[in-house]
Amino acid sequence: MKSSIFIAGLLTASAAAMPAQADKLDDIIASGTLRCAVVLDFPPMGSRDASNNPIGFDVDYCSDLAAALGVTPEVVETTFPERIPALMSGRVDVAVASTSDTLERAKTVGFSIPYYAFENAVVANEKVEMADWEGMKGKTVGATAGTYEAIWLEDKVKEWGEGEFRPYQSQADVFLALSQGQIDATVATVEVSEANVNSGNFPGIRIVDKAPMVPDYVALITLREEYGLINYMNLFVNQQVRTGRYAELYEKWVGEGVPADLTVSGVYR
Amino acid sequence: MFDTALTANDLIFLAKGAGMTLIVTAISVFFGTVLGIVFGVIRYQIGPWWAAPMTFVLDIFRSIPLLIQLVLANAFVTTVLGWRISGFTVACGVLSLYTAAYCAEIVRGGIESVPPTLRRAARSLGMTWGQDMFNIVLPLATRVVLPSWIGLALGVMKDSALVYVVQVVELLKSTQILITRLQEPLFLLMICGLFYFVISFPIARFGGYLEKRWSND
Amino acid sequence: MFDYNFRWNQALNSLPQMLEGALVTIEIAVLSMVIGISIAMVLTLFRLSGYRILSAITATWVEVARNTPALFQIYMVHFGLGGFGIHLSPYLSLLIGIAFNNAGYLTENFRGALKAIPETQTRSARSLGMTPLQAFRNVVMPQMLRISFLPMTNQMVWAILMTSLGAVVAMNTDLYGVTSDLNARTFRTFELFAIAAVIFYLITKAVTLSARLIAARLFRY
Repeated sequence: MKSSIFIAGLLTASAAAMPAQADKLDDIIASGTLRCAVVLDFPPMGSRDASNNPIGFDVDYCSDLAAALGVTPEVVETTFPERIPALMSGRVDVAVASTSDTLERAKTVGFSIPYYAFENAVVANEKVEMADWEGMKGKTVGATAGTYEAIWLEDKVKEWGEGEFRPYQSQADVFLALSQGQIDATVATVEVSEANVNSGNFPGIRIVDKAPMVPDYVALITLREEYGLINYMNLFVNQQVRTGRYAELYEKWVGEGVPADLTVSGVYR
Repeated sequence: MFDTALTANDLIFLAKGAGMTLIVTAISVFFGTVLGIVFGVIRYQIGPWWAAPMTFVLDIFRSIPLLIQLVLANAFVTTVLGWRISGFTVACGVLSLYTAAYCAEIVRGGIESVPPTLRRAARSLGMTWGQDMFNIVLPLATRVVLPSWIGLALGVMKDSALVYVVQVVELLKSTQILITRLQEPLFLLMICGLFYFVISFPIARFGGYLEKRWSND
Repeated sequence: MFDYNFRWNQALNSLPQMLEGALVTIEIAVLSMVIGISIAMVLTLFRLSGYRILSAITATWVEVARNTPALFQIYMVHFGLGGFGIHLSPYLSLLIGIAFNNAGYLTENFRGALKAIPETQTRSARSLGMTPLQAFRNVVMPQMLRISFLPMTNQMVWAILMTSLGAVVAMNTDLYGVTSDLNARTFRTFELFAIAAVIFYLITKAVTLSARLIAARLFRY
């Protein structure tokens, strides 16, 4: 009697352990929705139109990825500091949010291959004397908390030993502070800098110089253990380029220049 | 000065944010009050010594910044426990517990303010504990605590501005989004502040009026 | 049970930085209380002075401070004034924002305390030849401070908790700012903020305890 209960228990336990772990790729397709974290104060990658709807390069990439998976896209707005926490907490499935692929972050999240590359520029308030990026020494500078540029800038300020660094909570706050003159300069991607300077929304700022950082490759991110989804996204990025969609969206949102080469020569991937 | 790029769409967007503020406040105050009454009554009934653990836990909610409570609860529930719940739920949960912590104190003070003689008289008339609580203590205690409770509810409405950290788009966050697009910080912030003021001020005044009327000056 | 790798070591390594941030937090809270109490005194005198315009200033300050969120007030001080070209560092913006808030609530507390002091006290003082200001300073004010001691302690605790709002004005040297900064680099949200919460709890308990001790010594008959 006892042994049959024991065997029944064993069978149930093994039956419970048997179904294969459905991974996130399956979950997304099954649920019918792809939730992407997108940063919406970062034109032209992400911003809002006159009816406050999300638009931008990243928004379009999210739609493309959803279309490839055969599900509907859902844009979840996050700020820069919130991208990875939103992913870790399960609030979003992927982040199509121009996330720089640093090794520190790779300890926590899984990166796809790069889908875009940024050059960074120094944007300064017009009233400030600054000839090149080294002119930032000793000044009050700021950037969006947690971004690649912010960490670079903060380390530079520490290295120079003078000047002040301010981490604002969002890109919009940084530019607002810059145009108000509360900070003298910031470092932002060339695209964002040009978009913000040209939009006329932030009077009194100008682009000074390129920042001496290597090109900032950004990738799609998801949870570190979701190999199925990461492989899928790698193929997706590759296909976006070879079908010409990458160039098409670049033309639509960024306009001038040539879309950045997403490879690093001399290395396999 | 009134040359602004604000459109009707934007006002609707702000109104949605304001609606979110009110919804989060209403839910939190409701559940917080219910829980607060439960905790307050328990605390009163079983005395300070036995209630010490519960008092300790509730005290934690009043000694840590609400911002940290929200971030911590969010991180715990989503990353550690792995539950999939929305920021809205986390916000309402945390705010409810926060409200309950303050409300428990208020309720306890209210119950204590009812003269014991009245309650003993009720019991000696044959009322059960429940009847005593409901028919004697409730009306009297409510009179005493209503002004404080109104103050607490308004405080929660103002603190609801902090739920932006868990991705709930309430009024202040909506205002910030519009400021990004329209670049009119002062004007938009004035509207935002005016909203809070317009809701809070009359209710606070009313609470003060009640306090004056019901005090024994 | 937990599908999460706790990495307490990484978080505990940052403890010295967080403690430095805690010192800045306490500093801001104390300064904001000192400023707040001073302004509240002035506002209370305005109200007692009988001049309509001064009373109106007090009433406006109190109502605005108590009916709008503290986060809003701090954001307004930094970005609102910034629109007028007045630049305040994050530290100052936070300090002024919290002080503004403190002053409003403290003035209300003082008003409640004053109601408990009989009018006869002032009249006796005046009849002894004191000027109104002397009467207030020597007779009424000590009693008022004594009655509002507990509310003032509560306000101090609130001030400490309010320093966490500095994040919106890029304040990165107080306890919350330091924790947030570390979080942005390492993503150990739960561990870091749990430690920060414990530190905040200890600070607030220390404040309430010392307040109780001070009250026992100071207000003994």
